[in-house]
Amino acid sequence: MSRAKLQRLGIDLPLFPTTSVGSFPKPDFLMKARGEFAKKLIGRAELEKAERQATEFWIRKQEELGVDVLVDGEMYRGDMVVYFAENLEGFEIGGLVRSYGNRYYHKPIITGEVRWKGPITVDWWKYAQSLTRKPVKGMLTGPYTVMDWSFIESYPDRRSATLALAREIRKEVEALIQAGAKIIQIDEPAVSVRPEELAVAIEAMHVVTDGLPAYFITHICYGAFEHIYPDMLDLPVDNFDLEMSNSGLDMLALFKKQRYTKDISFGVVDVHTHLVETQPVVEQRLRQALETLSKEAIWVDPDCGLKTRTVDEAIAKMQALVRAAQALRTS
Amino acid sequence: MELLLANHSSYPRIGDDADQQLLRRTITQRDKGEKNDADVRAAEEHLTELALAEQSAAGLQVVTDGLIRWYDPISHLARKLAGVRINGLLRFFDTNCYFRQPVVHAKPQRGGALLVEEFTFAKAKSSRPVKAVMTGPYTLARHTVEEKGGAGGFAKVLEAYTAALAEEVAALAAAGAGLIQVEEPSLLKQPEDFPVGEQHLAALAARKGSAQLALAVYFGDPAPLYDKLQTLPVDLLVLDFTYSPSLVETVATRGTAKTLGLGLLDGRNTRLEDASGVARQLEKIAKARNPGRAYLNPSCGLEYLPRDRAQLKLRHLAAIQRIFLGRAA
Repeated sequence: MSRAKLQRLGIDLPLFPTTSVGSFPKPDFLMKARGEFAKKLIGRAELEKAERQATEFWIRKQEELGVDVLVDGEMYRGDMVVYFAENLEGFEIGGLVRSYGNRYYHKPIITGEVRWKGPITVDWWKYAQSLTRKPVKGMLTGPYTVMDWSFIESYPDRRSATLALAREIRKEVEALIQAGAKIIQIDEPAVSVRPEELAVAIEAMHVVTDGLPAYFITHICYGAFEHIYPDMLDLPVDNFDLEMSNSGLDMLALFKKQRYTKDISFGVVDVHTHLVETQPVVEQRLRQALETLSKEAIWVDPDCGLKTRTVDEAIAKMQALVRAAQALRTS
Repeated sequence: MELLLANHSSYPRIGDDADQQLLRRTITQRDKGEKNDADVRAAEEHLTELALAEQSAAGLQVVTDGLIRWYDPISHLARKLAGVRINGLLRFFDTNCYFRQPVVHAKPQRGGALLVEEFTFAKAKSSRPVKAVMTGPYTLARHTVEEKGGAGGFAKVLEAYTAALAEEVAALAAAGAGLIQVEEPSLLKQPEDFPVGEQHLAALAARKGSAQLALAVYFGDPAPLYDKLQTLPVDLLVLDFTYSPSLVETVATRGTAKTLGLGLLDGRNTRLEDASGVARQLEKIAKARNPGRAYLNPSCGLEYLPRDRAQLKLRHLAAIQRIFLGRAA
């Protein structure tokens, strides 16, 4: 583990630190408030009150469960890309496009020069951190994913759009660090989709993180890892947060062939099933991880954001992984 | 060169106004038990009619039913076959759209028509010729997993899909489809399997009767395979030009023995192409040996765009056609 780096940042974590990827399900009262806000029955202030209440709920819940590195749960976000598109200059929010089946989302359109207008997530991070003594991760969507999940009209190509986004997202990272964030996660789930563009994602991540005093994590999921490993290790971050359980831990075979050299947030529960994994199942997955990875390198978390689960399922899955990590520490 | 305008395949099944959201609303209500399958079917028909009308209004000479009823390009066909069940979500190529993966537990078999009813409805409602669209057997097989003891391996799954889809080609032709488009984007990802793809296309072509058969490849650069594509037993090649810096030059240099569908407009990005620039590309292709008739179409299905932008793309096709014809005159 880059434990020395964390210690330099003033963070002391146990073996197998537990965390989550970022999103938690929105409690019913917040879903109701979002519905009322959409129908203009309540104003922004009332919605934000519900979002703060929900954020506090999840901070308290993570503390109760014994999670080591907390997240704010993204109660204020709808979609991980649209949220940033709404808060950066240079975007329009486009009409609905299909995600799958009967699910649709508003896909952003980059129509102008992308520009950071001011802090986007900093107040939420400050609020969440004010509720706990444990470290709270700063949570951003990375430039490659924002580019890939947007239409591009105002840049000549995908690389130039990605690098423009990287320069602006770096400003948000700097603002988070200035506010006190020590661990910052930059989600790049799209990185695994076009292996031929991995170099662009790496170049952009350098723009975002180079020379900045934080422990950086990137989350990548649901893609063709066999095509980007081990080259993806060139992404300038300390920790890769990876979806492992959905794919039956098959990435461990890749790590056996080519040594894995960084910290890993090892996804031990599948976020797309209602089935809640038991503590022994999670422990077994971690023991399998230990056959290939150093115990110092392993963090423990779900495969991906838990927002698609019910509140009870999300809590139960987090509980299973925290107990499994705690059991391994003493075994 | 005679230049006609065509849709590629899919069309957005949702838009910003309430009427355009009827299908989403009805499916949600059906899932809550407030509506039934007949209501969903009526909503699908309504959205299909809207899609047909919008394509005609944009000036297209060949339209599709918009694949409005399709859950996704893979499971829509596979779920109708015996021996196949449908599993979880996977990303469709490098899009941000997901499909449900077929799982073969026994030899896939066609028990009845897969697309004929959809085609017949669209044909009856359209004032323009309707192109029937189906995902090809190779792409279906590449997106399928097999349970142990299912069908006996990839080759057997492919063979079974081919047999089922060949029956469907025959049924569509019998139902009056004059043009049937088989979509095989996976062929660009596994060019080493080209001979396999060729063999299975031949099986479909053998059942097409008097219909014309089109092969559509997209989400990749077809230029390296261009000569081989020209040898396939199909009447039309529908090509994605957006991944290829050299395809216009390739077509202009080598000519074509087949009618081409020119996917010069990016079906995955909202930006409107420079109309004069595309017209120049068309002129270049028109000078190729034996260009005959060609279709100008988006590079892929339009369901990756918001509806208002899809409409703009289609109208842009018409604007480019006018420039091209004006210059030709």
